Amino acid sequence: MGAFILKRLGLALITLWILSMLVFFAGQILPGDPGRSVLGNLATPQAVHNLDHQLGADRPLISQYWHWITNFPGTSYQYQAPIGPILVPALGRSVKLGLFAFVIVVPLSIIGGVIAALNVGKPVDRVISVVGLSGTTVPEFVSGIVLILLFGIALGWLPIEATPPPGTSFLGSLRYLILPVIPLVLVLFGYIMRMARAGTVEALESDYARTATLKGLPRGVMIRRHVLRNSLLPTITVIATQTGYLIGGLVVVETLFQYEGIGSLVVMAATHKDFPMLEAGVLTIGVVYMLVTLIADISYSLLNPRIRLAAAE
Amino acid sequence: MRRKRNEQLDGLRARCTELENHYIDELVAGDLSRRDFLRRGSIIGMSVPFMGAVLGATDPASALAAPRARTAAAKPKSGGTMRIAIQAPSAAVNPLTVADAGGLCMLNQTGEFLVFDNNLKLALQPMLALSWKASHNATVWTFKLRTGVKFSNGKPMTADDVVYTFQQLSNPANASNALSVFKGILSPSGVRKVNSHTVAFHLEAPNGNFPYLVSSDNYNAIIVPKGTNFKTWQHSFVGTGAFKMTSYTQGVGATFTRNPHYWGSMPYLKGTSFKFFQSQAPQVLALEGSAVDVIGQITPFGATQLLHNPAYSVIRLKSSNHRELSMRTDQAPFTDARVRQAVAWTLNRHQMVEALLAGYGLVANDYPFAPSFPSTVPMTQRTRNIAKAKQLLAAAGHSKGISATLQTETYEEISQLAQVIKQNAAAAGINITLNIQNQTAYYGTTFGSSPWLDGTLSLVDYGSRGVPNVFLNAPLVSNGAWNAARFADPTYDHLARQYFATSDLKSQRKIATKIETLLLQQTPIIYPYWIDGLTVSTKRVHGLNPTSIAQLYLNTAYFS
Repeated sequence: MGAFILKRLGLALITLWILSMLVFFAGQILPGDPGRSVLGNLATPQAVHNLDHQLGADRPLISQYWHWITNFPGTSYQYQAPIGPILVPALGRSVKLGLFAFVIVVPLSIIGGVIAALNVGKPVDRVISVVGLSGTTVPEFVSGIVLILLFGIALGWLPIEATPPPGTSFLGSLRYLILPVIPLVLVLFGYIMRMARAGTVEALESDYARTATLKGLPRGVMIRRHVLRNSLLPTITVIATQTGYLIGGLVVVETLFQYEGIGSLVVMAATHKDFPMLEAGVLTIGVVYMLVTLIADISYSLLNPRIRLAAAE
Repeated sequence: MRRKRNEQLDGLRARCTELENHYIDELVAGDLSRRDFLRRGSIIGMSVPFMGAVLGATDPASALAAPRARTAAAKPKSGGTMRIAIQAPSAAVNPLTVADAGGLCMLNQTGEFLVFDNNLKLALQPMLALSWKASHNATVWTFKLRTGVKFSNGKPMTADDVVYTFQQLSNPANASNALSVFKGILSPSGVRKVNSHTVAFHLEAPNGNFPYLVSSDNYNAIIVPKGTNFKTWQHSFVGTGAFKMTSYTQGVGATFTRNPHYWGSMPYLKGTSFKFFQSQAPQVLALEGSAVDVIGQITPFGATQLLHNPAYSVIRLKSSNHRELSMRTDQAPFTDARVRQAVAWTLNRHQMVEALLAGYGLVANDYPFAPSFPSTVPMTQRTRNIAKAKQLLAAAGHSKGISATLQTETYEEISQLAQVIKQNAAAAGINITLNIQNQTAYYGTTFGSSPWLDGTLSLVDYGSRGVPNVFLNAPLVSNGAWNAARFADPTYDHLARQYFATSDLKSQRKIATKIETLLLQQTPIIYPYWIDGLTVSTKRVHGLNPTSIAQLYLNTAYFS
C-alpha cells in the first residue's frame, strides 16, 4: 500500500510539472499584454512598456518560467501583491463550498440511485430518474437566478450572497452557502445517481448476486455485502472526477453569488494574462484533483481487493 | 440704478485678472449664460461668492444664481454602515496604474484631488486646493493649497506632497496612467513648490483647461504623502479623505471607517462596506435582495427593472461617456470620406439610445463635443437616411455595396451595439462581419498588435471627461496614441492645438465650430451616443456624491 501511494505521488509530481509547462507556454498564445491589461486601453504605450518591464513580462519566456519556478508562488501581475495571501483564502472558500455540496449530494444521489435500481421500471425509479436528469440539464446560472429570485428576494428566507459578513461563525456561514449549493446539487445529483443506479442494476443481475439470493441470504444483507461493494466502484470514479469541478470549476456559481473562489481567480488571471497567478491557481486545482483521485483509488482498493493486489505486485 | 450696478461691477473688475475680466465681458455681452459663467469661472479659479457678486452686479435678479446644494430629503442622521456594490477592481489599487471603474472608486474613498469636478453642478470645486490662477497665456497655473489638512496617518499635507504626487504621475519612466493626460503638457520638472502651501505647474504648452487635469477627472491624481511607494499603497490607502481603510481583500471587498484626521466635517456614516462584483446582474440582485444599499455605477442595459422601480432612487448625471466607431482612413474603401459618411447615415441613433440605454443617454453627432461641454456648438443632427447613404456609396463607386470587419470588445452594451450597427448598415449594402473579443485581447499592446488600433472598423469605449481635450487629442491628431482611424489631417491638428491653448469660451466655440464641421465632413470616427452616469440606491440612502466616471464620495451620505 505504501509503495502504491509513493509511486502515485511521484507520478503526480511529474504530472504537475508538465501541467505547469503546458499552462505557461500554451498561455502565451492568449492574446493581450499584462501591462495593457492593468493600465487599460487609454494608457500610453510608454507606460505599458514600463509596467511590463517592472513586472518582468518583457523577458524571454524561458527566463520568465525560471523566475516563476524559483520564486513560487510569486507575485501577481494584476494585483501587484504576493500570490499566497490571495490564493489560500480563495482556495479555502472553494473547498468549503465544494465540501458542503459534496456531503449533501453524494449520500443523496447514492441513496437515490440504489432506491431507483431496486425498483427498476417502477414509478419510484421513473420519478427519481426524471427529476435527477431534469436537474442535470438546468445550467447553474438558470437555477441560481431562480433560487435567488424565489428564496432571496420574493420570500426573503435566505441570504443571496455566499460571502458572510466578517465575524460570522462557521455554522452561521453555512447558511450563506445554502442557495449556492442547491444548483450544484441539482447538476451533480442526476449524474452520480445514474452511475449508482446503473452499477446497482448490473450488480443485482450478476451471478454472485443470484448465488447470494439462492443460498438464502436476506435481501438487505445481500445488497449491503455483495451488491453495493461492487456497484459503487464506478460511482466513486465519477465522484472523484466531479470533485475537481466542485473545487475549481464553480465560476458561474461564484460569480452569481459573489463568492471569490479559486475558479473565478483563475479565470480572471487568464483574462488578464496574469501568469504567476494563473500558474499557481491551475497547479493548486491540479494538486486538489490528484489528491482526490488518489483518495478515490485508495478507497477503490479497499472496496475491491483485486486492485490492491495488482498494485502491490 | 444701472449706473450704480456698473460702478459695482467696475469695483469687482479692478480685482480681476485679464482672463477673468474677459469672462465678465462675455457675460455682460450675453455670450456666456449665467450657468456657463459659473462653470468657466470655476475653471480659472474665480470663487463662487465672487462670481455671485459679479452676477448680482450685472443682473440683480440672478444674485442668487450661484448653484446650491440640493435640499436634502430628510434631516441627516448620524451612524450606520453603508453597503455599496461596485465592479471588482480588475487590478492592484495603485494610484499610478489604476484604470478601471472599481479601482478608481477605491482611490476616491480615502483619496482627494486638488480640485473636484462636480458633475451634479457641472462646475469645478475646491478640494485640496483652495484657489487657482493662470498666467496670462495659460502656461503657468498656480494652486493655493488648503491649510490644516492631514493625511490619515496624521502627517500634515504640504506642497511637498503635491509636488511629489504630480512628479510621479507625470514621470515618463513610471508606469503611470496619467501620462495619457500629461504627455506633452506637464513633465516632472514643471511641477514646482512655491512655498509650503503653494504649487506652480509650468506647462509645456498653453492649456486653458488645466485645472481639469488635476481634478477628479484625472482619476489617478489623488494626493499621496511624499515618498509613497505606489505599489504598496493598497496596504494603507493613506489619503486625506473623510474615511480611512480598515480592510481590503482582493476580489471580495473593502471596509472603511471615519478618518479622525479629516479636515472637513466628519461624515455621518460610521463606516462603509464595499462589495466587489464581477458583473452587473448580481449587483442588481444584491440590491433587490437587500444585501447592499447602493450600486455605485450601473449601466442601463440589463437594469431597466431597477431604474423604473419607484422603490429605488436613481441619480442621473449627464456625462461624456461614449463609444467611438473608428474607420481606417488609410484602408480601402474607407479612404473615401463619402464611404465613412455613408456608414454614419445608416445609423438609427435614437433607437440605439432607447434600446441599448433605456433612454438614459443622448444621441451624438459625429464629433467629440458632448452637449454637457460649454464649448459645444450644436450642429444639425445626423439621423438615419438610407437613401443618402446609398447615394454616397454610389458616388464613391461602391453602388454594389461594401464589406468590412468590425473589431470590438465584450464590455457593457458594446457587443450589442456592434450587432445594431451591423444591422443598420446592412440596409445600405454595407456588409459588416463582427469580431468580438474580450477586453485584454481587443486592446492588445499597441499599433500592429491591437485589434482595437488595427481593425478596419473598430468600436471602443471612452470614459467621461469634463472637457473634450482627451477626445480631441489621442484618437484624432496625426500619430495620436489611440488614433485607430489613422486620421491625419494637418488642418485638424492645427485647430486642435489652437483649441487646447485657448481659454476664453467665445474663441473656443469658434474653433469648436470649425472642428465639428471638419469632422462631420471627414467622419473618421462615428459617435453614436453619450451615456448618462447612473447611481442607484434604496430610498433610505441620501447625500451620495457620485461622478460620471464611477467615483463615489460618501462623506455627506446618510440613512434616513
